[in-house]
Amino acid sequence: MRKILALLLAVCMLVSCAAFAEEQAEATYTYNLALTTFPTNWNPHVYETNTDSIILDWTSTGYYRFDYNDTMDGYKMVPDLATDYPIDVTADYIGQYGLEEGAEHQAWLIPIREDVKWEDGTPITAHDIEESVKRLLNPVAVNYRADTLYTGNVVIAGAKDYFYSGQSVTLENATNAYYTMDDLTLGEDGVYVTPDGGKVYLAINYKLSEWLGGNTLKQYVDSYGEAYFDVTNWDALVELANDEGLVELTEDTYALFVPVTTGVEAWGETEDDIPAYFAYEATYPELEYDGNVGYFALSDYEVVMVLEKPCEGFYLMYGMSCPLVKNDLYDACTTITDGVYSNSYGTSLDTIMSYGPYKLTSFQMDKVFTLEKNEYFYGYNDGADIYQTTCINYDYVPEASTRLEMFLAGQLDSYGLQKDDMEEYAASDFIYYSEGDSIFAMVVNPDLDTLTANQTTAGENINKTILTIKEFRMALAYAMNRAEFCLATSPTNGPAFCLYSSQIIADPENGIAYRATPEAKQVIVNFWGLADDIGEGKLYADVDEAIDSISGYNLAMAQEYFDKAYDIAIEEGLMDEDDVVEIIVGTPNLTSAFYNNGYEYIVNNYTEAVKGTKLEGKLTFTRDGTLGNDFAKALRNNNIDMLFGVGWTGSTFDPYNLFQVFVSPTYQYDSHYDATADMVDIELNGVVYTASAYTWYESMQGTGTKVTVKVGDEDTELVLADAGEKIIVLAALENNYLQVYDYIPLMNDASASLKGAQVKYYTEDEVFPMGRGGVRYMTYNYTDAEWDAYVADMGGTINYK
Amino acid sequence: MDDAKRANTTFRDYLRKAADWYRHAYRLRYTIKRVLLMLMVFFIIISICFILIKLLPSKPAEQFGKDKNMVEMRRKALGYDKPLAVQYLIFIQKSLLGGDWGMSEVRYLGSNVWDVFMEKMPATVMVNVYTMLFAVPLGLLLGIYAALKKNKWQDHVISTGVMVFVSVPSYVYAFLVQYFLCYKLQLFDFQIKSGRDFLSWSMFVSMIPAIISLGFGTIAGLARYTRAELTEVLTSEYLLLARTKGLSRSQTTVRHALRNSMVPIFPMILGEFIGIIGGSIIIEQIFGVPGVGALYIESITSTPPDYNMFLLLSAFYTIIGLASGIVVDLSYGFVDPRIRMGSTK
Repeated sequence: MRKILALLLAVCMLVSCAAFAEEQAEATYTYNLALTTFPTNWNPHVYETNTDSIILDWTSTGYYRFDYNDTMDGYKMVPDLATDYPIDVTADYIGQYGLEEGAEHQAWLIPIREDVKWEDGTPITAHDIEESVKRLLNPVAVNYRADTLYTGNVVIAGAKDYFYSGQSVTLENATNAYYTMDDLTLGEDGVYVTPDGGKVYLAINYKLSEWLGGNTLKQYVDSYGEAYFDVTNWDALVELANDEGLVELTEDTYALFVPVTTGVEAWGETEDDIPAYFAYEATYPELEYDGNVGYFALSDYEVVMVLEKPCEGFYLMYGMSCPLVKNDLYDACTTITDGVYSNSYGTSLDTIMSYGPYKLTSFQMDKVFTLEKNEYFYGYNDGADIYQTTCINYDYVPEASTRLEMFLAGQLDSYGLQKDDMEEYAASDFIYYSEGDSIFAMVVNPDLDTLTANQTTAGENINKTILTIKEFRMALAYAMNRAEFCLATSPTNGPAFCLYSSQIIADPENGIAYRATPEAKQVIVNFWGLADDIGEGKLYADVDEAIDSISGYNLAMAQEYFDKAYDIAIEEGLMDEDDVVEIIVGTPNLTSAFYNNGYEYIVNNYTEAVKGTKLEGKLTFTRDGTLGNDFAKALRNNNIDMLFGVGWTGSTFDPYNLFQVFVSPTYQYDSHYDATADMVDIELNGVVYTASAYTWYESMQGTGTKVTVKVGDEDTELVLADAGEKIIVLAALENNYLQVYDYIPLMNDASASLKGAQVKYYTEDEVFPMGRGGVRYMTYNYTDAEWDAYVADMGGTINYK
Repeated sequence: MDDAKRANTTFRDYLRKAADWYRHAYRLRYTIKRVLLMLMVFFIIISICFILIKLLPSKPAEQFGKDKNMVEMRRKALGYDKPLAVQYLIFIQKSLLGGDWGMSEVRYLGSNVWDVFMEKMPATVMVNVYTMLFAVPLGLLLGIYAALKKNKWQDHVISTGVMVFVSVPSYVYAFLVQYFLCYKLQLFDFQIKSGRDFLSWSMFVSMIPAIISLGFGTIAGLARYTRAELTEVLTSEYLLLARTKGLSRSQTTVRHALRNSMVPIFPMILGEFIGIIGGSIIIEQIFGVPGVGALYIESITSTPPDYNMFLLLSAFYTIIGLASGIVVDLSYGFVDPRIRMGSTK
């Protein structure tokens, strides 16, 4: 009997153990998220939006990835698809791919893992990567992401030439062949052609990157008129220009053009310079991939990248692109109909193959998609307690109220708080803030000529030219209560006091944030006029204390500047006493709550701010809300006087390159700021160098970039030695640009979200760019089954307040 | 001679019969005429759509660091550098005549626009069909009941409800339905079920909040219209005559009043059914219906516009709209034989 009981007990224990084991094995952890836009194309060669890249984030990996540093307060780059850091093999490729003797850091070997597999178990080799690169650069496909291989810091040798094979493009003469009139011949239709037969044009309203610093000749003629140009034939030439701003070069148009740039001595050009205004049609020659494009497989598990310009360290690893696709599936998705190429790779469940930590297991367009663990992923054993999430579920839920209700009902693990939610959930233990890398600004047109013209058109007693007075623009900057503006438009955002946010990294090798450097801090105190108040016995003990005191709002100072601006305007005859200032504010539409609330706030704020000043009752605003997504162009084209809520994002790790948006007419909101003419003095190692803002911008690009600057009156060549010098230059440029007061920082993007109680973040504090650990490190407080039971116990609704 | 006469007579008979048939086939003649006119109108509308959409800004907004030549090359590769007339001819040849509507170039990049449309259509159709099946009978019944109880408390209750539901936009009670039925009472899921089993019971149940929200407007509209029409007919003289001839109230109501009041109501119901392919942007968004509701507006508002998607939808909805006009017109004749569309008599 005892034996039977013992046997029974043993059986019971076995059964319960088995049941427990089964329960453990079946424990699932689903991360439920909601999307407000839905991915439609996650082909790594063509995807266009951040939403599209969501699926790619889980189904693919890069050669290197970010991870926490050892002290968990910053980041480091670690090999991912690669097994080790890049090996410099430049010496092996001298004489090939355009590498010249003495070249450094231009060829890199990346050893890749041997255990990388597609979700169907097919092994992946370096040859697959090379084949994918060929498809990305396919000249027939004209893939949207092809330029990732030939723009930025990592420029693959020959990639652009191969991609452009057989393509006809328009090139600037000055930066390319520089044909003179003697090189050109008259075609049968009377238009001059190059020796290769390409038509030649006069660049009337076409940007010339070198000769005119990225501006068009029309911009110069419109701005400076008869003082610098003979405008007799100008209107006739503008009339002849095509949509691209080009006029075919014929004997007649040449004759019309010559006096324009040579007729007035002040412009300082002769007829010999005329070819610099040419642009011509050129067709890139057909090129073979092999032997010409520096991205290839050296062996089954070694990839070599040969670069057109040197790059190393962080920027190399960060800029490397691995556009791997499942080549046979990709080819099956390709169609060419009547010469038009299209590819459906990455548009459905059947047209995607994962080699990342998760694979797509269900996809219903504009509804839901689910990712589950990819059993063939190589990285699950790369660390303990990683990837506990077994399934990631994305629901398309555009309505915020529905998302909130679903979150409270335990169906979502995160909810992005909206303006109306902040009051209710601001004190929640589950709220998490994330600062973004974008600064949004208010931009005004400070150009006298265009404002005068607009003022005349606007009618009698309407004034706009007061915007040319710096004191007026300073008053606008000081009178803006940024905290209230954020509350009115987007409460999770915070006030901004400079051009770059604290998320911008100036020295990525060492993870140093730009805003944390002394130079960048000084920029802020300079801009807000606190530089003289810092030091012993003064208002602020140090720079940090001074910065902490900045709110971006100083009504008394603003009113002082409003009065000063008015006096200057009257004194200089820019304004009559009975004039009313009318500022036209441009917004993309009349439906966006952000722009509606923002405009309303601006009007009320400034109307109140000028009360008690000489501009009381004389500052008015009107709105053009019909400008669409390209509303910034309206300011560039002088159709409006002010924009707000505009800014640039991206280049988080390369603020030097990002500065282009402030100095290049291609990106500038205020196109009248001429960075090529604005001279800036910068002291480096005790020597004061002088150069244009544009030249300084160029000096910060890449490694070892040589520029010509002045020391006193002498020209000298300068190469910035290290990141420290780059930071000094960047801070000087930021300081200089802020002092123009045409681009007034308003707010820093940030978001607030509620975290569901089922999940646990790896770090409570946000560590850029790791965030709070992401799915890789996320753990769970409950299994899915436990969570369902918990929610049911709570009556179906969880209190997150 | 006799043979010739007989043949002549037969031929004349044949002609007479043909002329007779032609005279009586007024409905067919009318239909053919309307179809031909419809094709002409369709062609004009679609041509205008083509020109207007091409007038919108076609270049994507500038992006920091993007190769602008490449963006231009992509436009060229898609044929957007060709003269508008050439693009129009390609559109006529390939899409209108060839049935190849091409690939989406913006929102559903890389997907065939027809496939996208067809994938999303069933969800819209099913939600709307269920709504019609629920709303039309209920709307009619409420309208009839209110008419029969005219000026009594039942009529007042129905009329008040009708006014409320006609006045308040559907998305308002959609949010209320979701809040009370899905969140507070937890009777239904917030969103309709995922999957393509649109005829399954579980899918139907998950659609109920959307059906209710969409149905309120239809019920209210139909009830109001039916009540008004039926009230008018019920007080007409010929019904009084019918009653005096001995027909019961229910007989006069069902056989005469209802049928006559249906003349304007039936085309309205038909219109509602035709409208089921249109979808509702707001309701679809609130209840997660993966339908076609937002496709049209998205195709226009994107920069550049999604030309192929826009033209497919324009063509589809134009042809459906025009065809439904013919069907509605013809339906008058079926509902009331006295109405002879196209007849000269």
